[in-house]
Amino acid sequence: MNPQTTRRPIQKVSTAVAQCAVEATAYGKCIVADYNDVTKDKCAREFLRLKDCYLVRYYPVFFTL
Amino acid sequence: MSWGKSSLTRLAPRSSNQFVAEAAAPRRFYAVASGATRFQVFNRRAKWLQKERAASNLEESRIADYLKDEAAIRLTERLLDIRRHFPRALDLGANSCNVAKALVRENPDPDPDVTESPPLSTRIGELIATDSSEARLYRDADQEFNDKISLTRQVVDDEETIPFEPESFDLVLSSLSLHWINDLPGVLSQINSILKPDCPFIGAMLGGDTLYELRTSLQLAEQERRGGMSPHVSPLADVRDVGGLLQKAGFKMLTVDVDDIIVDYPDTFALMQDLQAMGESNAILNREMGPIQRDVLLANDAIYRSLHGNPDGSIPATFRIIYMIGWREGEDQPQPLARGSGQTNLKDILEKKE
Repeated sequence: MNPQTTRRPIQKVSTAVAQCAVEATAYGKCIVADYNDVTKDKCAREFLRLKDCYLVRYYPVFFTL
Repeated sequence: MSWGKSSLTRLAPRSSNQFVAEAAAPRRFYAVASGATRFQVFNRRAKWLQKERAASNLEESRIADYLKDEAAIRLTERLLDIRRHFPRALDLGANSCNVAKALVRENPDPDPDVTESPPLSTRIGELIATDSSEARLYRDADQEFNDKISLTRQVVDDEETIPFEPESFDLVLSSLSLHWINDLPGVLSQINSILKPDCPFIGAMLGGDTLYELRTSLQLAEQERRGGMSPHVSPLADVRDVGGLLQKAGFKMLTVDVDDIIVDYPDTFALMQDLQAMGESNAILNREMGPIQRDVLLANDAIYRSLHGNPDGSIPATFRIIYMIGWREGEDQPQPLARGSGQTNLKDILEKKE
């Protein structure tokens, strides 16, 4: 068990998320704009953009075939 | 199937009066707990499992010890002010004996005028370290510091009942473990009773605004993604509460102070991974079981960055540590003067100085 070679799933998530800084900032801005009044799916549009970006980075193999 | 049978016979009504009496019987309490009701906030078994698992990964758990080591060093520095020898000391909730490690440090005195000071362990006769998690307690048993201090490790079943004789310790230390105790008032008064008269208890616990960044961003993320929230960060005692608790437990000459340690992480995933490696994952009783949804984690990282992020792209996490010192009541102990017995007006002195 060499820590350099074993990667936990969360580290893969972290690497994928790091490549979506633009989308993450847009989503963050939408929430922080009025964080006293956050309701379900308030920033759904921004979130889906973030998630699209994340999924492409997390499962690259499905999107390059 | 004896249980089924007996409950059936118990429920069979012979006469209506008897039925009422017997049905009511299991609800009677034979022993009534003294004092206030014990609130159960944390799942002690879940906490124990988390500690055992975290400690079984030697490498990660040692790397994530930075907070506990730092708190232990700051805690033991408070011993410099007490010029005494402690023949028998207890480290309650010892984690991986971070306090013992801090006690054997060379030149513990941070005063620049004192160039050389002996390790604090020279003033301690015997240190007993207890923790509920065996893997965690014995993790560093083969390390060098063990030879420099007379250290006994003892695994306890339940950290909320202290298995020692009353008036048997000259010093009780506790570093970063009291925040997982359900019955804090009860444990504090037990600590008070195992101390010899006029002996100190010095503790450090996480409190107040610890991890407030993570708390707020997770709340916002769950609110927006799922339309509701569940607790992810423990409710913690505040500085104000700690003073009151110590007083209620019978301690005298209290000192309570706070210290914020802010650690920067590359992202929220690194923060949560480290918390897990410390054995400090969520163990609230009514938490949602299972991991946090990935959508929420994704939203949380973005919100944390926007709300609290540093300009250089890292994220800060605050650990607020409350240090407390309380003394067991003893003879010849300095007493506070009676209220209103002051002869000098403090206002005059302060105004003169300006």
